[in-house]
Amino acid sequence: MSDFLLELSENPQARKLIKTLGLPLPMPEVLPRATGPYEDRPFEDKNILVRATDAFADVLAREITRGGGNAFVVGEGAALTAFEEQGKAWGRPPKAISLDDKHDELTLHGAVIDASDVKGAADLRVLYDVLHPLMRRFAKHSRFIVIGRPAEDAAGPAEAAARAGLDGFVRSLSKETGGAGNTANMLYVEEGAEKRVGAPLRFFLSKHSAFVTGQPLRITNKVKGDEDPVTRPLEGKVALVTGAARGIGEATAELLAAEGAHVVILDRPADDGPASVVARNVGGSLLLVDITDEDAPETIAQRLLEEHGGVDIVVHNAGVTRDKRLMNMKPDWWDSCVDINLGAVVRITDALLEKKALREGGRIVCLSSVSGIAGNNGQTNYSASKAGIVGFVRALSEQVADKGITVNAIAPGFIETRLTAAMPVFLREGARRLSALGQGGRPEDVGQAITFLVTPGAVGITGNVLRVCGGALVGA
Amino acid sequence: MATKKKSETKQSGQEPKKRTTKAAPPKQAEAAAAPVARRKSVAPPAANPASRRAVVIGGMRTPFVRAFAEFMELDSIALGVAATKALLERYDVPRAEIDGIVWGGVILPPYSPNLAREIALDLKLPHRVEGFTVTRACASGLQAVHSAVAAIERGEADILIAGGSDSTSNAPLVLPNKAVHALAPLAFGKAKGMSDYLGVLSQLMPITDILPRKPEISERTTGEVMGECAERMAKRNQISREAQDELAYRSHERAAAAVASGRFDDEITPVETKSGRVSADTIIRGDTSLEKLAKLKPVFDRKAGTVTAGNSSALTDGAAAVLIMSEEKARALGYKPKAAFRSFAYTSVDPADQLLIAPAIAVPMALERAGLELNNVSLVDFHEAFAAQVLSVTQALASDAWAKERLGRDRAVGEIDPARFNIHGGSIAIGHPFGATGARMVTTIANEFALTDAETAVLGICAAGGIGAGAVMERVD
Repeated sequence: MSDFLLELSENPQARKLIKTLGLPLPMPEVLPRATGPYEDRPFEDKNILVRATDAFADVLAREITRGGGNAFVVGEGAALTAFEEQGKAWGRPPKAISLDDKHDELTLHGAVIDASDVKGAADLRVLYDVLHPLMRRFAKHSRFIVIGRPAEDAAGPAEAAARAGLDGFVRSLSKETGGAGNTANMLYVEEGAEKRVGAPLRFFLSKHSAFVTGQPLRITNKVKGDEDPVTRPLEGKVALVTGAARGIGEATAELLAAEGAHVVILDRPADDGPASVVARNVGGSLLLVDITDEDAPETIAQRLLEEHGGVDIVVHNAGVTRDKRLMNMKPDWWDSCVDINLGAVVRITDALLEKKALREGGRIVCLSSVSGIAGNNGQTNYSASKAGIVGFVRALSEQVADKGITVNAIAPGFIETRLTAAMPVFLREGARRLSALGQGGRPEDVGQAITFLVTPGAVGITGNVLRVCGGALVGA
Repeated sequence: MATKKKSETKQSGQEPKKRTTKAAPPKQAEAAAAPVARRKSVAPPAANPASRRAVVIGGMRTPFVRAFAEFMELDSIALGVAATKALLERYDVPRAEIDGIVWGGVILPPYSPNLAREIALDLKLPHRVEGFTVTRACASGLQAVHSAVAAIERGEADILIAGGSDSTSNAPLVLPNKAVHALAPLAFGKAKGMSDYLGVLSQLMPITDILPRKPEISERTTGEVMGECAERMAKRNQISREAQDELAYRSHERAAAAVASGRFDDEITPVETKSGRVSADTIIRGDTSLEKLAKLKPVFDRKAGTVTAGNSSALTDGAAAVLIMSEEKARALGYKPKAAFRSFAYTSVDPADQLLIAPAIAVPMALERAGLELNNVSLVDFHEAFAAQVLSVTQALASDAWAKERLGRDRAVGEIDPARFNIHGGSIAIGHPFGATGARMVTTIANEFALTDAETAVLGICAAGGIGAGAVMERVD
């Protein structure tokens, strides 16, 4: 059976009809997605509610006003002054907003709540105080971002509790408002890394993150490097994408190329047809290698060095499923799945580092999976490999931080690809409904998250696992 | 301060580096590169082509007249002819020595877009006086002057006439491409039988698709007309209606005073038309008042707008021409030059953001290239497209935040002293024939140097496409 309901829900006439008739058919909100590369002003004419502490006032003011947003600043004092200053540079004067007044005429498109000053349970009230009176004023597809300090760095258990509490609030807000296509995400920013919230803010506050919700990211000062061009941030960079002939790999290659990267399309020699089409489309190069071959790591490093003088971005996207319950699984299914998804990733990364093919300021993104984190029936091999990725990313990120290299993982949830199209229809429809946004994602959604993590501006993010799952219920 | 900087520039202009390498045959120069470099500092400064200076002798313009009025029958070429003819007469230019004409225009006549050469032909100048036409939207007049200055300073010419003109009254009505393509077989005589004519007719339906479009000055990429952009800039930069009206009032007041005192007499030439002689600008309103300006209704946002016909520049017909020579030639011919250029600068911003803000970047660029600060130039002259636009630019120049974010500087470029700013009014009062405005500003400033002891001036012009232009002029004695 085809996805009749899904197609129906994307037809505006049909949506209207179903709504008018009051049919009990679930119609997931059609998510507006970015249609082009990064823009100078991603928040043009968007009304954004801001609550900022002194620590973040300057950086939030700069990012939001430079991005074209109209800031509605809660309270007065340093935050408002910072927004007024930046407003002059970018022609976006802020408005002070009082929470006691009614704002029936106001439409908001996003909120950035800086709660980095919470010290105890009672302070969590700030979230309620700022958002509760205005919750009805948010348009569809709004973006909520909460900023806090990492609980681990707290002065004591009470402060840690308040800080950790922010995460729970964001996850629930994501579920509560996901039906309208809203997203809510959390930034845990270490002391001294405040300036690094720019790129994450642009990502989470724009259409580039349509399918990312309910996620916490940690922003650190661990890795050196600060350059942050807003548009075409990957100009002059060389990117390797494995498994790029189709699906998520292809979508990622296209997005990286659109931001200025030269993309090396890597896939198996058997896929030379589709891989060469992708390479041509993105103006990139082709590298046909079976990543499980014994000499593959050596060959890849060598070719990158010879043909491109090295590589700046590595996206380990190639992967397979070999699903069987453990009792029925043949040894070669176990082996191939674990080797392609994890073994090859480790070997290739090692070779790139050892041969110094990965340049300073490099970016590594590995593909994990929500089912890798949460576990799934019939996927012992797959989950082992994908959870292994998480361990790999965390450990490696510490090792290469001094070279300016970040290492992160993306964990896609239900994404509409060849793999999921093969699922039984009820299981498939069920999987879609299990997310806060009530639908599956698209390969480009994952590509967008990968692209964000490999930009120079994402230098504060390393050792993180970012889920692109639409706020899936499993594995939270 | 300004004088000191000037002498520094002169010295660096005469830097002997190029001459040393040029004098020696290339191979020797290469071999002797190191010793030459060491000797450079002790070599006496000497004249060389790179130090040639272009100077402004003077300028003339037609009266600036509201569009669709007295100058209706004169197209940009005829207006250009009038201004250039007056310039030739006023400065008694030896016709045989003119090297060419550089002209700026925005609405170029489709039948003959190279205005410059047509002007030379209509004036019966010697046939060797060639011409080329430049367009950089409202900075076209300045661009023409710039191109002439550059050609002279490169040693490619000695005497050039630079200027610009525009006739909004003669803007061609443009048929939509659909109609043009459909009519092509008829126009090019390829239609043979009745059926071909019928075929053409059938393509012309519905009729609304093929009617000529009203000419509008809208941005190609955003579709917005200028006034809407100005309205948005007023909101973005919180420019009040009162401030805009005040600037417009001052523009009229000063321009009227200049007219009354005869200050413009040496730069405006009367123009004969079929219906009579036009000898003065027609847009300047010496009798306007803040009360009168305050009564006007906003045009582009009727409910909450602040941009009115009173605080915007009007559609204008007119032309201005400037005589530019190499300093050497000027002195040899016995002219007394008035001004020279220290720098030009152009940049642009996203038209979808603040279309007319770019002078706030181009002006500091020009000042920096000239080694000057905003607060030590004698005169500041900005084209006034809209009062909201001028005030947005001056506010940005005075803002530390703008300097930090948009110019990468620590401190604001500076506040502009009203006593030195647009001292004889600007485009709001005088009018704005797109291609002519830059040449008008150059003329007025050059004369100001001749009449007063002003040393330097900075010009700023905003233009379609988000372009900003800046130039620094200095007096020549």
